[in-house]
Amino acid sequence: MPRLPNTSPQTLRVLELLLEAPRSWHYGYALSQLTGLKSGTLYPILLRLADQGWLETRWAEAEQPGRPPRHTYRLTGKGARLARTTLAEAAPLKMNRRLAAVSGSH
Amino acid sequence: MRMRDFPGRVADALAKQLLGWLHRRVDPESREWLDALTAESNCAAGGWQRLRWALGGVPLVWTINRRCKMDEPERGTREAPIASGVANIAAVAGWYAVIIPATYGAARFFRCQLFFGSQPGGCQEHPFTFGSIVIGGGVLGMMTAFALRARFAAYWWALFSVINTVGFVWFLSSGIVDVPRYGATQGAMFMAATFGMVLAAITRQIRQTETEGRITAQLVAGGISFVIADALIRIRDRQLVADNVNHFAVFACAMSAAILAALIARRWSRLSVTPADRRA
Repeated sequence: MPRLPNTSPQTLRVLELLLEAPRSWHYGYALSQLTGLKSGTLYPILLRLADQGWLETRWAEAEQPGRPPRHTYRLTGKGARLARTTLAEAAPLKMNRRLAAVSGSH
Repeated sequence: MRMRDFPGRVADALAKQLLGWLHRRVDPESREWLDALTAESNCAAGGWQRLRWALGGVPLVWTINRRCKMDEPERGTREAPIASGVANIAAVAGWYAVIIPATYGAARFFRCQLFFGSQPGGCQEHPFTFGSIVIGGGVLGMMTAFALRARFAAYWWALFSVINTVGFVWFLSSGIVDVPRYGATQGAMFMAATFGMVLAAITRQIRQTETEGRITAQLVAGGISFVIADALIRIRDRQLVADNVNHFAVFACAMSAAILAALIARRWSRLSVTPADRRA
């Protein structure tokens, strides 16, 4: 069965974090640090979410002079709504994955 | 202290190089996400962290380019690879259907034997006619492949032309045709040309660098191909390749193949410019 879109554990982690402060702008590096995702995993996820209209992006001036502007992200209204639904629907899936991991380790 | 910093500085330089290289791999209109990743690399503490961050650009660029290809209607359709496969097969098989009858027709016309080697009555008595058929046929096959936009076939016919040209020049200078005693050398020539083609096709990735760099890359590709073919054939038969004439033939095959493949790659990069490139 094909997996539902945006339900990979990594995407769920990003959505979870973005939902903690849905109206704030987030930096890519901070998201990577907080989710534990590598840049090569995080950025394709952000790109896909932005493509689907879940995420809005903005270039913000760097705090330090001489540095390039930074890309920031936050959930759109639609994105926040869909993220909540996806996380709620994925909760049992997440539990199943954890159980499978625990039983697999024994 | 300085020595301790050295690996970190090397990693930092590598990260910058990698990001620069990745930028050249992405269409200017699609660079937003790579620019975003690059800007954030300044937040990473230390060269190693920055290199790790920059390495994430590789899957990102792959994602961006895949997305761009899917957006292009002529490349994103399922029919595109099938059409390309058919064009390649047609360009290879179709051209053999011209060269083989032409060779047999000429042999019949001159009343000579194709498989006589150096013996009297063999077709080596008409080297220019048969040389023109195979070399000219290969070059025309390459041009047909270009017209059909069949890249694999273009490389195939380039390889064919290179081997036959070197074999022809070798025959004119030494009077030696393909006899079993020299089979190993023919094998080495074929290997050297193939390696040269493959390596030059790989180095086409650096097409956006300076011309001098590209030429050096092709020469290196040819040189490496010669060394590989030479080493492989020496393992099998030390005696045959010890002959200087054979050495020159193998070397010429490797270098010509690498240079020809580079020219094909260059021509191809012009043929396959993206819509964004065209707009620019």
